[in-house]
Amino acid sequence: MSSRGRTGLKRDLEDIIQTCNSIQSRQFNPFLLDVGEALEILRRHRDQLSSLQEHLLDMRAITGIARVVGLQSARLRFQSSSLFVDPGVVRDKIGGLSRQQLAEFLLLSWHPIVELEQLTPAAYTEASDYWNRLLSFFERRQRLQLGPLVAPEGASLAELSHAGLIEEKAFAQRLQEVWDELHRKSESFGFADYWGFVQGRSFPETVSKAQVVSFLISYGYADLEEKSSKLVLVPKKEPQSMAGSSLSYPIPIPREVRVG
Amino acid sequence: MTEVKPEETFYAEKLKRAAHMLFFKRGKVPGARSWELRSGLGKGYKEVLSQLDEFLKDLDLEVKKVEVDALSDVGIRVDQDEDYRYFVRLKGTLTPKEARMTGWRIDNLAALAACLSVIVSKQGKCERKELEDLIGHKAGRWRSLTLMDTFLRTGYLEEDDEGLLKLGWRTKAEMDLQSLMLLVAESKPQSVATEPEAIDEDQASI
Repeated sequence: MSSRGRTGLKRDLEDIIQTCNSIQSRQFNPFLLDVGEALEILRRHRDQLSSLQEHLLDMRAITGIARVVGLQSARLRFQSSSLFVDPGVVRDKIGGLSRQQLAEFLLLSWHPIVELEQLTPAAYTEASDYWNRLLSFFERRQRLQLGPLVAPEGASLAELSHAGLIEEKAFAQRLQEVWDELHRKSESFGFADYWGFVQGRSFPETVSKAQVVSFLISYGYADLEEKSSKLVLVPKKEPQSMAGSSLSYPIPIPREVRVG
Repeated sequence: MTEVKPEETFYAEKLKRAAHMLFFKRGKVPGARSWELRSGLGKGYKEVLSQLDEFLKDLDLEVKKVEVDALSDVGIRVDQDEDYRYFVRLKGTLTPKEARMTGWRIDNLAALAACLSVIVSKQGKCERKELEDLIGHKAGRWRSLTLMDTFLRTGYLEEDDEGLLKLGWRTKAEMDLQSLMLLVAESKPQSVATEPEAIDEDQASI
């Protein structure tokens, strides 16, 4: 067979596999695939398969078609059930409903489970041991050398914010600002040096920014990469929530950054 | 002198034990499996549960039976024909005021309703991105991310091997999906222009 024919065979099989995969990931209606036509294509190429790779592609295409047939069957059963509403209609309806209406619908269909946490003998023993070993409040306080006991006083929101106990801005707003800043600082090279970016004027500011950056990475708004043995941040134009890894990557803050 | 009825006393003991088994959480998932109830209450556990259900009616509670397969529960199946998990759940529904007292914000309830409706309409599976976009449209982009994590953590949604989201064990135990779909399908949209701005606070209250 000519190389053009072989390329055509490969392309046909890959097209079928791709369509089947998209249907399986619920991107398309299962009836989008004409099963008869797909099988006809496979039948047409049957005698042209020669290499192991081509046989494997053919096998994957057949498996994909079989799964789509399964989904078509499930869809027919589902359409005949009382739960069937067209996904497009549901999306339109939800788009037009207020949050209040949606919440009310949920409440009218919600029967929460009653569940109570209980104390187990093991937990009781652990708690009892802890309590017995625990020093009195004044003894513990004395160990910390906190000086004389001061009566509690009130504090304003501005004072709490100044002390770093509460955030001045909503967390979502802070994420947005840091993401925008990362875009600005990456304009020239497409990335920004991690330490250069997170370092603030003080240690608390550095920690706070590193925390926000960790959220940006977890939520798929930026990537953490290594370039010339340096950690760099690469912002994304659009968030890719599924692209992020579930692995945790701790980054200790070195002394020079703390001091700087 | 009143006659002692040993059978009634015996039954009352079993009822108490059944209530303890169903109310108190022992593992990650509340309630009790049928084999646990059989070993704790004996072969007649179904009658005991039915009696408990009768007692609970006055408190607006009920005993709910859900197939373990439907809950995607992990574990060894003891009896292929009778593997259920029993829960005690609210028989009626909560008012918006009561729901707020449980710590659920209106945003969370609305987002959950939207997620469940879309997943059901797509035969039980949907891409996470699609749900995030849908919620993000109403609640804000960042909030949609935290809400999805919350729904996954609390068991209302689950992620399968292919990374698609499906209905979680808690949805199957707590939600009347037919009622929800009917309400959504029959709804008449309000003017969304009058709706207040999406809240961008990031503090999930559940």
